[in-house]
Amino acid sequence: MEDNRLTIALSKGTLLKPTVALLESAGLPADGVLSDSRAMIFDHPGEPPIRYIICRPTDVPAYVEHGAADLGIVGKDVIVEQGKDVFEMADLKYGYCRFVVAIPAGLEGINLRDLNYRRVATKFPRVAENFFRQQGLQAEVIELHGNIELAPLMGLSDVIVDLVSTGRTLKENNLLELVTIMDSTSRLIGNLVSFRTKYDVIQPLLEKIKALVKEQ
Amino acid sequence: MRNREIPKGLRDLLPDEMRTRRKLERKAVELFAACGYDEVLTPTFEFLEVVEAGGNIREKLFLFMDREGGILSLRPEMTVSIARLASTHLQDGMLPRRLFYSANVFRHVQPHLAQYREFWQTGIELLGAAGPRADAEVIGLAVKVMREFGLENFKVSLNHIGIFNSLLDVRDIEPKDRELVRRLATKKDLVGLTEALDRMPVDDLLKETIALLPTLHGGLEVLQKLSYLDENPSCARAAEELTATYNALKAMGVEEQVLIDMGILRGLDYYTGVVFEGFSPDLGYGLLGGGRYDRLLSQFGFPCPATGFALGLDRLTLVLKDREQEPTRYLVGGEDWAAMVAAAETMRNEGCVVNLDVEGLDRDQLQAKVADQPGWSLIYIDDLAQGGR
Repeated sequence: MEDNRLTIALSKGTLLKPTVALLESAGLPADGVLSDSRAMIFDHPGEPPIRYIICRPTDVPAYVEHGAADLGIVGKDVIVEQGKDVFEMADLKYGYCRFVVAIPAGLEGINLRDLNYRRVATKFPRVAENFFRQQGLQAEVIELHGNIELAPLMGLSDVIVDLVSTGRTLKENNLLELVTIMDSTSRLIGNLVSFRTKYDVIQPLLEKIKALVKEQ
Repeated sequence: MRNREIPKGLRDLLPDEMRTRRKLERKAVELFAACGYDEVLTPTFEFLEVVEAGGNIREKLFLFMDREGGILSLRPEMTVSIARLASTHLQDGMLPRRLFYSANVFRHVQPHLAQYREFWQTGIELLGAAGPRADAEVIGLAVKVMREFGLENFKVSLNHIGIFNSLLDVRDIEPKDRELVRRLATKKDLVGLTEALDRMPVDDLLKETIALLPTLHGGLEVLQKLSYLDENPSCARAAEELTATYNALKAMGVEEQVLIDMGILRGLDYYTGVVFEGFSPDLGYGLLGGGRYDRLLSQFGFPCPATGFALGLDRLTLVLKDREQEPTRYLVGGEDWAAMVAAAETMRNEGCVVNLDVEGLDRDQLQAKVADQPGWSLIYIDDLAQGGR
């Protein structure tokens, strides 16, 4: 393994395009990363050499926490749900979405307290549980892996906690936003040891990226 | 088949790992002893009140009841227990007092690579000495022990907890905000930290300084970037102490391995002065940590400055285990048991690792046994009779 190589874990999916744009404007070589090839590792020789790993967003914090990647770019939503020990270095501002509690249209007019002891379907059990606990409420969290909107329609749960960006999917399924739990945008995260051992590469990059984000 | 399970976060230690670990432990212990440190050991569990003298980390403790109604905690680390031990037994002795330990400690953490619920620490405590020379002795030993282990490229990062604490200790910041800022900075959530500071009615220069701290890293010159320093006397004093310690380390010839890093805050509440962590590019987690804790012993009625550190043996073993070369193992067989034993003893005295064949096998059977075992060599006692091995 090359000692000074910088390994960056990138989230596959919608975040990839703006991420590559940002990296390129920060002066990092990133050609090929957006190609349709199914490669998961991209190496760019140079000074320093850079390696990109393309992985599922939910896996990015794990790569970074263990130091398998020095840096990672991933949504705050994933960081919060994964709860890994990483250095959250900069808010990149793109990839906006928010965690919300949504209720079926029929429940209109209720407030949060009425949700005590209700069943909550979600892909994000940690976020959902923490939120209700902090409100002093108890909710039974049911973890599902996709199409959460289906759960209240089929009577599996009373409400849902989900990630929305425009809110269109909620509307299409006759669901209403009750409260926003938190906002999320993508973040630059780093391994705590890498930040120190590769400080000379990472710190200037961090400053450049912060400046770029500020300009926008 | 529950009878084969072990509890989450615990593990069995097999011969390869134990060999590396014992070797590391031996090197550390020799070094500590040569510098005047004496070994102590405390009970594996203590009353909760003792453990909590070091601060509140209750969600990380393994707690249980004793039959007299006391709440007991497996020790989450050794420093607090040693402070208690020193207050009870060592108050009348000569100071400073140097102690070392090697022990298992227990924390209820989410287990993953390099983080276990039972792990081993070897460390030192220097009790009864304040000032940069005492700090430098302890940090210098941390560097020396890592060198002794054969680690390359490792670094030890220093900070003074008083810099961060005194920056937060201004009148404008409310106590609950102070807690929030401390939590975010310890978690290294730079984004959350900046956002939280933005909401607080605090001087802009102070905000900037606090937000900058986690990324300040390098030589003594990073202290110059703390523009707020001059306006806060206790912060300036902390920076002076840090500088003095750094200079003392320089005089010890370890400056190559030492850095200033304002992001080192350590998790534990009892630290009061210079704190430090050691790490290597080979592992994404810290290898050692420690610092000055001048108020902990007074919790036990023994007001006395102190500093120390602990090495994480499990993590060091992860980094260093592949570098071990196994010695050849000899298997001594034969028909004449007395001759075998005598030959084995002679070889052992020469420093060889010798196994005796206790099964009474013949030459062919023994040869078959060691044939596909790397690092094994068979000695059949007839060979010796014929003059060679």
